[in-house]
Amino acid sequence: MRIDPLSATLHALADPTRRALLARLALGDASVTELGAPLDMSLAAVSKHLKVLEGAGLVSRGRHMQWRPCHLEAAPLRDASEWLEQYRRFWDRSIDALADHLATIQATKKTKVKK
Amino acid sequence: MSKQKARSNVGPMRVETPADQAVLIMERELDAPRELVWSALTDPTQVAKWYGGHGFENPVCEMDVRPGGRWRHVMRTPDGQEFAMELEFLEVVPPERLVWQNVGHDAPGAVGPHNNHMTVTLEALDGGARTRWHLVTRFKSLADRQAAGAIGFAAVLEEGTEKFADVLRELAR
Repeated sequence: MRIDPLSATLHALADPTRRALLARLALGDASVTELGAPLDMSLAAVSKHLKVLEGAGLVSRGRHMQWRPCHLEAAPLRDASEWLEQYRRFWDRSIDALADHLATIQATKKTKVKK
Repeated sequence: MSKQKARSNVGPMRVETPADQAVLIMERELDAPRELVWSALTDPTQVAKWYGGHGFENPVCEMDVRPGGRWRHVMRTPDGQEFAMELEFLEVVPPERLVWQNVGHDAPGAVGPHNNHMTVTLEALDGGARTRWHLVTRFKSLADRQAAGAIGFAAVLEEGTEKFADVLRELAR
């Protein structure tokens, strides 16, 4: 099954370790060793979480430097929150228009009855 | 009646996002009897007048309102972009409950999940003069993957388009 970017983003965020890694990267690029230092887990485990984040497009790795720093990619999360915000606004607008439509048809009915 | 009340003959929209589910709940009170709201929701000629909101047009709206029936829709945004949608009715209980879901998954580059499941429940208020609109959207692809998990979905939604680093700091708590 094809996974939409929003689902991939939220799946990546559903784990507390991955959220902690992103929060650390929000402060600046870091190596796997630096990322693992405050966490009570092996570097292999940290790498596994980073793979998920890379898969979701939330983290990229430097190519040229030997320590291949991890870099935060903000766009997917911004896209996700914008999509949800748009969805909410879509219904807010629609129901505004629905309420106005209901007012119009009721006003029309009343006018007809008066005549 | 105060001016403001006359202008908005509906209460403000209430939005809920249960923390552990990929669900968005939107509730509103409408100043019309339930039967009228039901027909405005299930008569394609009327749906075309309000779907999307003011400034939006709906050049195609074909509804076969019965369980398993299709809803083919094309919406045009104020800047002229057209979005084709294909939906399917799952439950039809006049005048109180309508359930439908997306079946068209073809929107290229769409960011959002494509199998959303929507339930509108209409409740009669004030002896039938008014109606409570209760819309639950279930983002199924998120629920299946447990991706909505404790914080992800609700936090992202609450934060809206706030500064990204702030969102992350919040998430990391």
